[in-house]
Parts: sequence; structure tokens; C-alpha cells
Amino acid sequence: MSTQADGSETHGWLGEEFLTWLWFRWETDGGEFPLPGGRVVGIALDDFLSFAAPSDDDTEQTLRRGLPTRTAEARTALRQGHRLRKARLLIAEGSRQWTTTLDAPTLTCTGVRLPEDAEECESEADRTADRTANWYALHEIVQLLYASFLRERLRPDYLQTVGEQHARWMAS
Amino acid sequence: MAAIRKSGGVVVYYWDGDLPAPADAAFAQALAGRRFRTIEHATSEEVSVGWVTPADPTGDSFDAEDLEGGAGTWLRFRIDKKVLPKKWLQIHRDAAEKSRGKKLSARERRELKDDLSDKLLPRVLPTIQLVDALLFHDRRTLLLFATSKGAREAFAKLFFESFALPLDRANPLRCGLRAALGREADAALERLVPVRWPRGDDAPQPPRRRAAGEAAAAATEEVDA
Repeated sequence: MSTQADGSETHGWLGEEFLTWLWFRWETDGGEFPLPGGRVVGIALDDFLSFAAPSDDDTEQTLRRGLPTRTAEARTALRQGHRLRKARLLIAEGSRQWTTTLDAPTLTCTGVRLPEDAEECESEADRTADRTANWYALHEIVQLLYASFLRERLRPDYLQTVGEQHARWMAS
Repeated sequence: MAAIRKSGGVVVYYWDGDLPAPADAAFAQALAGRRFRTIEHATSEEVSVGWVTPADPTGDSFDAEDLEGGAGTWLRFRIDKKVLPKKWLQIHRDAAEKSRGKKLSARERRELKDDLSDKLLPRVLPTIQLVDALLFHDRRTLLLFATSKGAREAFAKLFFESFALPLDRANPLRCGLRAALGREADAALERLVPVRWPRGDDAPQPPRRRAAGEAAAAATEEVDA
């Protein structure tokens, strides 16, 4: 088993960069993310944000309810270089919509709400099959979004390209 | 049998190595080998962890159809705990101290607890926790519907004892290495260090107030301590 006490051995900070990148892309590109196979998912940040403390001496900041991404506190946290640690996400693909709180350092989804059961479900077995597909789809979407982020993040010129845009957005 | 849950928290695990296909008899045998065993009539404080199925909470049967979960295999394990109720112990201790007019010594407290355990535990029912998981055999992926440390540890131990395979919890590094980005990207990922975004006065100004190149210079990387 991997040691995950502080996330340093498992790149927990990279999960925080990923979640902050989702916010950046949502605000600058409109929240539609192309995935392999011609799929497109919509992502939006909802009513819960928690910023990581940059060090043990700093305060962790949590914003709840309303539109926390629009608050002065959130902008200040970004300007101070804080990464997102947790956020409530709305995820949509076609007619299906999930909500979840993503814990970035572990990429764990908590407080998940699956899409409504498909209308054609007639039995408990049908509902189980439908929900199983939706649970896996949520996992797959998060993994594919993370892979999209990594393709940008691992570019040798990242700091001069996307990283530059990201820094400007955080400072804006 | 009710349908699988549609809300809650989920922890993702992966495994390497060969796991019997869920349709194979070896899979059911592995579950049966670590089936749940009741502690309903136990006379001491105990914890019992073992496999059951969504259709049979006793652990007596592992029929393949009871594990069907559509594209995945629906696993369920059960954790029963029997403990002496603390409030009953406190009531008896208070009564003993009141009748004596003084506090009990450590040895007397221990004896009182042992005596109460013998009398009460056979009458105490264990608490029951049923935890579900979805196993996707072809993708070597498992979704556990519990996020507490106790349930996670119990599950990982039970899985290892059943299939002799350790589970790896998903994390940003593991997920990145599974994303099939290529060998160069994998090597870069392992070497990657956090971006130290500009803070406060170091922050790049909006484009009108500061040249683009300066913002790039401000976004420097630091070595992960």
C-alpha cells in the first residue's frame, strides 16, 4: 500500500493543481471538456470550495453556499497562490448529471449523487446495472479529465504556455 | 434485493496480478474462504469481518447471480462489533462506589468490568455495518463505497486475505501512471515538482499592467520537500 499520510509520496499536490486547473479552464474556456471518442463533458464548480494551506503555518480556507467562486475571498486566495484542495463539482454528459465533492490529494469522490435512474429500468436488477454504469462513468470522467490536465502539465514548455495563462488567471 | 446505492462516497482501488474471473468457481471459493462468521452469541468483545452477498447477509452462500451488478461485480462485506456498553459499565461502577462510599481501585474496576462482561456480553447484540464495492475485473479497478479509515483498512485486509493480492488506492501519481501517457511522460510525472504560484506582491499583474514574459518568470517550480 502507498503511504498517503501527507500526500507527498503520492503527488497529492498534483491533485490540487488538477482541481485548480479545472476551475481555470471552466472560467477561461467555458467548462466544456472534450474527451477521447468524441465525448464532451461539462464541468462547473458548485457551492463548496476548500483551499489548501500552502504550509503548516497557513490557514486552510473553506467557502460554502451561494457562488463561492465569485467571492472576493476566493479571488484573494488565488492571488495568494493557494491551490484548491476540495470542491463541489457539477459534471454533465448528455442528459446525465453527477454532483460530487472531489478531494484533490486523493482523487476521492465524496457526497456523490448519481444521475436519475434511466426511465427504462423496470426492476431492481435494472437499476443496479444502470447505477453501476453511472458509478463507473463518473470514475472514468474524472480519470480522463485528469489525463487531459497531465498532457498539458507534463509539456516541457508548460510554464511558458498554459502555466503562464494559469498564473495570469490566478492573479486577475 | 434492493438496488445498489446511488449516492455517497467512493474510494478507488487498483490491483496488479491475476484475480479469478467473478464467474469462475475460484472467485466464489475465495469469498467463501473468508465468509462472514457471526459473533451474535460471543461472550467477549469481538469484531468479525467477512464476505456476504447483497442477497444473503449471513455469508452462507455465494451464488454467482447474487454478485451481478451489470458491468461490474457487486461485492459486499460485513463488519460486526460486539462491545460492552460503556454507559452500563459506568452505571454499575457508580453504584458500587456509592455503596462503598469511596472510589474503586484500578484492580476493583477491572474485576467489575470482567464480571459485567461475563453477565452482559451474551445479551448484547453486535453492531452491524454492511459495505458495498463494485469490482470491474477487466479494468483491474474496484470502487469501495466507504471512505472511513476503519472500513478501508478492513476491506484491503479482507481482499488480500481472500485473493492474495494487495490493493493500491488511487492517488494522483498512480492515476497518472495508469493514464497511458507514454514512457517519457511517466518519467516526467515521477520527477514532477509542484508549481509555486506567485503569492501576494509577487503575483503577476493583469496583462495591461505587466508584460506577459514577466508572469511566466514568476511561475517558478520548487522542489517538493
